[in-house]
Amino acid sequence: MNLLRALTGTRSRVRCLVHDPAQAPQLALIDDVFDVVVGDVRDPTALATLFEGVSAATVFHAAAVIHPAGRTREFFDVNVGGTELVLDAAVRSGSARFVHVSSNSVCGANPGPDDRFTEESPYAPYMGYGQSKEEAERLVARASDRGDLETVVVRAPWFYGPFQPDRQTRFLATARRGRFPLVGDGSNRRSMVYTQNLVDGLLLAASVPAAAGRTYWIADGEPVAMRDVIATVRAAFVAEGMEVSGGSPRMPRLVGVVAEHVDALLQRGGRYSQTIHVLGELKDTIACDISRARRELGYEPQVDLLEGMRRSIRWCLDHGHAL
Amino acid sequence: MARTFLVTGGSGYFGGVLVDRCLERGDQVRILDVNAPSELRDGVDLVQGDVRDADTVRAACDGVDVVLHNIAQVPLARDRDLFWSVNVSGTAQVLVAARDAGVQKVVHTSSSAVYGIPEANPVTEQTKPRPLEAYGRAKLEAEALCADATRSGLDVTIIRPRTILGHGRLGIMSALYDFVAAGAPVYVLGSGDNRYQFVHADDLADACLRAADRAGPAAYNVGATEFGTMRETLEALVESAGTGSRVRSLPVGPARVAMRAASLIGAAPFAPYHWLLYSESLWFDTARARNELDWSPRLSNAQMIVESYEWYLGHRDGEATGSHHQSPVRLGLLGLLKRLP
Repeated sequence: MNLLRALTGTRSRVRCLVHDPAQAPQLALIDDVFDVVVGDVRDPTALATLFEGVSAATVFHAAAVIHPAGRTREFFDVNVGGTELVLDAAVRSGSARFVHVSSNSVCGANPGPDDRFTEESPYAPYMGYGQSKEEAERLVARASDRGDLETVVVRAPWFYGPFQPDRQTRFLATARRGRFPLVGDGSNRRSMVYTQNLVDGLLLAASVPAAAGRTYWIADGEPVAMRDVIATVRAAFVAEGMEVSGGSPRMPRLVGVVAEHVDALLQRGGRYSQTIHVLGELKDTIACDISRARRELGYEPQVDLLEGMRRSIRWCLDHGHAL
Repeated sequence: MARTFLVTGGSGYFGGVLVDRCLERGDQVRILDVNAPSELRDGVDLVQGDVRDADTVRAACDGVDVVLHNIAQVPLARDRDLFWSVNVSGTAQVLVAARDAGVQKVVHTSSSAVYGIPEANPVTEQTKPRPLEAYGRAKLEAEALCADATRSGLDVTIIRPRTILGHGRLGIMSALYDFVAAGAPVYVLGSGDNRYQFVHADDLADACLRAADRAGPAAYNVGATEFGTMRETLEALVESAGTGSRVRSLPVGPARVAMRAASLIGAAPFAPYHWLLYSESLWFDTARARNELDWSPRLSNAQMIVESYEWYLGHRDGEATGSHHQSPVRLGLLGLLKRLP
C-alpha cells in the first residue's frame, strides 16, 4: 500500500495484483492510474491477466507469506512458486526490471550484537520462511544470470509504519503497556525499516541503472538494541501525549532458545505457530549494513526510529486501532 | 431542474425518510438496497443488490446527480466481517462508481461512533475520532475512503449523526418502549446523568439534503440542540407515557458485564457499542452545520423520544420485515428485568 501510494503521480499506469477483492475499489479510489487485478499469485491465469498488454514494465514483486495460518506449506507455494510464476510472466512480457522484495531471514541471525550482515554474507536461512525466501532469491538470480531480465533484490528487515499489519499494532500496544518481553538482556540488536524508507529504497532499486543484478539491504540508518527499540516506542507514545505503563519484563534467554527448538520441531512437521516463532527470534541480533545501498543507490533513510514510530502511532489512531 | 438522487439503503429506516423528502422536493429517486422497501413509492426506481458488488453499484450510479450513502451494518448486526465488508468495501464501491459516473455530490452518512468515548465534550469536527469498537472503526475507515475520494476529485461531504430517533425507528429502542408500555421500570447505567444527544430522522434528513445542495467537501456533526442527560430523556418519556414506569439506576460495572455476557450467549440484543456508550456523555457542538448549512434541528431529545414511542404503540403489532432499525429487537433475558417489581 505504501509503495502504491508512492507510485501515484509518477507513473501513467500501475497494474497491481491484490488478493483481497475488497482492496480493488479502495485502490481505484486513491488514483485512477491503478488497474487492479484480483487474484492469487499462485494462479497462472491471474498472472496472465496481470501481464496482459503490459510491456517494458517495472515489476515490484512483494507478494509473500510471512506468518502462515497453521501450516508451513504456504511458504513454499506462495513465496517460491509465486515468485517463479511472476518472474516467468515478467520475462515473457519483456519487463524492463524486476525488483524483488526479500528478507533478513535468508541470512538468519548474526553471531554477536556487533556483527552486521552485508550483501556478501552467506545464506543461512532461518526456518521455513527463510528457506522459501532464499529459494526465491536464487530463482531471481538465475533469471538475471541467464540475461532474461534486469533484477534487483531488496532485503528488508522488521518493518513498521502506515498500513502496518495488525501484529505490528499489537506490538506497539504491548510495548506501551510494558508487557513486551525482552528475551535475554535486550542488548541484541535489530535492524528495522520504516515503510517510507523502504519505499524510497525500492524506488531507487527500480530506477538506478547500476543496480541491475545487485542485491541491497534497505533499513533505517543503524541497528538498535532490542531494549532501546522498546524504549524508543515508549518515548514515541510519550511524545504523542500518551501515557505509558508497566515495566520492562524480561525472560531468560533460555526461553528463546527453547522456543526456537519448538518452532523448528513444529516446522519440520509442516506446522507453524506465530507466537513461538516470534519468541524464538527475540533473543537474536538481526542487523544489517546499508553501506552498499548508500553508495550505489544514493539511498539515505529519511525517517529515524523515533519519528517513524510516532508516525506509526498516529496512523494507528487515525484508523481507529486501539493502542 | 429536478435532479436524480441515489439513496443507498433507501429501504432501511433512515434511507426511507430521505426518499420521502427527496420526492417532496420533486427530485427523481433511485434506491440501492439489498432489500426491497416495504412499500415502493410511485416513480421510485429500485436497484436491488449488494453494495459490495461493483457491477450492481455501477448500474445504480449511472445517470445520478447526487448520491446519499446510508448503507451500513449497524451495531446490532454484531458480525465483524459484515461490519468491515459492508461499511468499508461497500463504501469504496459506492465512491468509485460515483466518481466514475461523474456524480456531482456524495453525502456519506457516518456515525458518532467514530468518536468512541470522547475525552471532552462538546465534540466538534476538529475532535480527533477515536473509535472504541468494531462498528466505529469500520465507520472511521469508511471516512478515510471519503478523504481518498475527495483527493481524487469527488465532492464528498460527511455527516455524523448522534443516535437517530423518529417515528418508525425501532431497533434497540423497541426494548425500552416495550418496558415503558408495560409500566415496567426502565434502567440507566449509573446515575444516568451523562449528557446524551439524539437527532430526529427528519432533522438529519434535512441536514443531508442541505449538504447535498452545498458544493465542496466538508464534514458536519449533527444532533439535537435541546437535549439533556440520559435520565432526563427517559424521565420525559415515562412521564408522557403515564404507565407508571419509573427510571432506575443500575451499577455501571456489573451492568456492563451482564450486558456483555448476555450478548455473548445470544440472550440479549446488545453490541459493544451499547454497553460502552450508553452511560457515557457524547454531544456535538453543531455550530458548523447550523452556520454553513443554515440548518436548525426542530426537535428536542424529549420530543423525539415521545414521538418515537407513540409511533411504536401504534405499530407494535405489525409485522417486522425490514432492516435492524425498522424491526423490534428480541428481548431475550431482558424479559426477566421487565418482570421485576
